Amino acid sequence: MKEEKLQELLNELSQRVTEPVNPDLCEHIKQQIPHRLARHKIGWDTVNIIIDLRMSKSVAAAAIIITMILLVNLFGGRDSTGGNLFQDGMLLIKYWGGAGKSDISSSRTKYEHLLHRGEEVTWYGDSIDPEDSNAVLMQHKLADGSYVVMFADGHEKEVSSEELIKLLTRILLKKAK
Amino acid sequence: MLKKINLAEQQADLMHLNTEKRNLGRRKDYSDQRRDSLVARLRASDHTAAAELVDIYYEQIYLFMRRLGHDRQISEDLTQESFLNAWHHIGQLRDGKALNGWLYRIAGNVSKLYWRKHKNKEVAGIEIIDMPDNKDQECDKVGHFEQLEQLKNAVAQLPSKLRQTIVLHYMQELSIAEAAEAADIREGTFKSRLNRALKALRKSVI
Repeated sequence: MKEEKLQELLNELSQRVTEPVNPDLCEHIKQQIPHRLARHKIGWDTVNIIIDLRMSKSVAAAAIIITMILLVNLFGGRDSTGGNLFQDGMLLIKYWGGAGKSDISSSRTKYEHLLHRGEEVTWYGDSIDPEDSNAVLMQHKLADGSYVVMFADGHEKEVSSEELIKLLTRILLKKAK
Repeated sequence: MLKKINLAEQQADLMHLNTEKRNLGRRKDYSDQRRDSLVARLRASDHTAAAELVDIYYEQIYLFMRRLGHDRQISEDLTQESFLNAWHHIGQLRDGKALNGWLYRIAGNVSKLYWRKHKNKEVAGIEIIDMPDNKDQECDKVGHFEQLEQLKNAVAQLPSKLRQTIVLHYMQELSIAEAAEAADIREGTFKSRLNRALKALRKSVI
């Protein structure tokens, strides 16, 4: 078949391979719009700024890595045990019987701590049901692209990005109901 | 009775086709200035801008999913997931020109992840709408329709990367630059994929 004829057929096909879209879909999606659109994407914003400066992605990545090494050297990696200390603190709070809201407030402290350290973290605690033990309170992106998710009952789990999307979708759907 | 139902279905499809044409015109009229303003409002976390984004794009993204071979229900789910991902990555959207490519790239990734998880799932076809055309003879029309059906099946059988290039450029009517951005590849790579896809289609369709 000649190329012109093929292009013509493809153009026609684009007009004819179509179907009515469920009209409720639009409203359903709109209901899921989160109250706050912009999350704390500190890491990505930095990457985007560097890319906007017309640097290649690899140069941008190298610049970020060098900056991070410099910062670690400057501060001597003193925060490296912060995570463990925090876990111990959480266990103590639980031991003293402070479940529920104290879990959320201690998670919030951890979130602020990580945010201060420049980690890529997102907080969902303001819009979840504290009674739902499986509600996601916070996500923390790790260097390998996976996420550590903290739940309302205080337990943590390392998940892939796909699993994270599933967890967040479940919460949004529950909220929409 | 059955004939009446078929006739009603065909009329509904034709009405949809006309709406689709009107929407296409509307999309093209959507000026760069308005798109820049929409992106600026999105970046400022404007809730109404997010709703406007859904209004403009939900049909396109749904049909993109259908044309990539997902069935109706899955396409609806993946459309929702695409917007959800878009909101969570709104900070990565740079300017108005990048909007199309950015949103389609998110949708394409959502689709890719779905296929990766459901490797054995069959590609679901989408019907070709019959358009009334008085000029053509009946037998020519049948031949032409068969050719379109053959082409549609050939597109569905292309490897996923090649199918995506055809769907982005021809079905979703994105420019080469936008489609390349949506596929997350360089323009040159996109053009070469497009050529490979067209070559494969030329062989398959008589």
